[in-house]
Amino acid sequence: MFGLSARRRARWSLTDKPDEELIREVLGGQTDSFSELAGRHRQRVERLCRRFFSDEEMARDIAQESFIRAFTALATYRAEMPFGGWLRAIVVNLCYDELRRRRRRPEELVGDFSAPEVQWMQLVNGATPEQLVGEAEERRESYDLAHRLLDTLKPEDRMVMVLKESEELSVSEIAETLGWSEAKVKIRAFRARQALRKQAERMLAASGRTRNQS
Amino acid sequence: MNCFEARQEFAALWRNTASGERRAEILAHLKSCAKCDHAFRVFALTAPVLHSESEPPAAARVSAPARREFSLSDRPRRFASVSRETASPRRWVAMAAAAAIFVIAGSAAFYSVDAPRETLSDELSMPESNDNYQAAADPLAPEMPMTESDLAS
Repeated sequence: MFGLSARRRARWSLTDKPDEELIREVLGGQTDSFSELAGRHRQRVERLCRRFFSDEEMARDIAQESFIRAFTALATYRAEMPFGGWLRAIVVNLCYDELRRRRRRPEELVGDFSAPEVQWMQLVNGATPEQLVGEAEERRESYDLAHRLLDTLKPEDRMVMVLKESEELSVSEIAETLGWSEAKVKIRAFRARQALRKQAERMLAASGRTRNQS
Repeated sequence: MNCFEARQEFAALWRNTASGERRAEILAHLKSCAKCDHAFRVFALTAPVLHSESEPPAAARVSAPARREFSLSDRPRRFASVSRETASPRRWVAMAAAAAIFVIAGSAAFYSVDAPRETLSDELSMPESNDNYQAAADPLAPEMPMTESDLAS
């Protein structure tokens, strides 16, 4: 009617399908439908992985592995919960395993910064909030430094921070995703915030000292 | 706007999702409240990872070999330390596979040592007739008469 080719119409109709229908098709043998499903969620999954790992390659690997696991376990998916939530639980568990495997927790951050990182910290100390928001988008070091700061957290604390702050999940949703009690989530969130604040304030104090010296 | 409300809006300010009016209120509060201003600066240190919706800026240009070396050294050593806490089924499967390969390789090496080899004494015990020896070595060669009775028959 509007001059759309059959192929394009088919593509439009495919994108209109809800996740559950695509899942039914995959389980029915049309495995091609999974690429459509993965395409819908890829960006969100990769973004979530990047919140845990600064290494882009690592983030992409874990995102890819998440989709493989989702595909192999698709028969266990129950339509009571959204597919996005189910997939997020897979991603989060993979990231958690990887964080635990790394076991890298530099306790002492202060005094081990590159020149751009020091510049960024000085900007955080001195610039206006509007300037900070604008500058952070442009500066890679803001991203790297944030990762270094988050790397100081225990894996459990980091999981809670990311799910609470970035994914904006409630305590009960985090508890359900991680299979923890709500009390544990609350304690972890409290400890994570305290630890982060402590490290961040030390960093800011150190950068303030550097600025005064220069 | 009080301090609690302002701090609740830090993420919206960072993500640029606050309305113009709300944004102005938050910024005005940050100017007037030193504690919230400091809290925002602490927030800003982790916000690029926790609250950014966009892809991170590209890393500084590094040569490909250096980048590869960095990314490899940054990777965890998967079998560096296996404790009860960190042991996962996947790791155990990998270790079992490695052990199996090791055992197979070891047994292959062992049997290859024990297998009879052609030694100098073997060479010395070769038949005197070189033709006969070649005939014996070649399974497709016609059978040669070896003794007088063979020749008679």
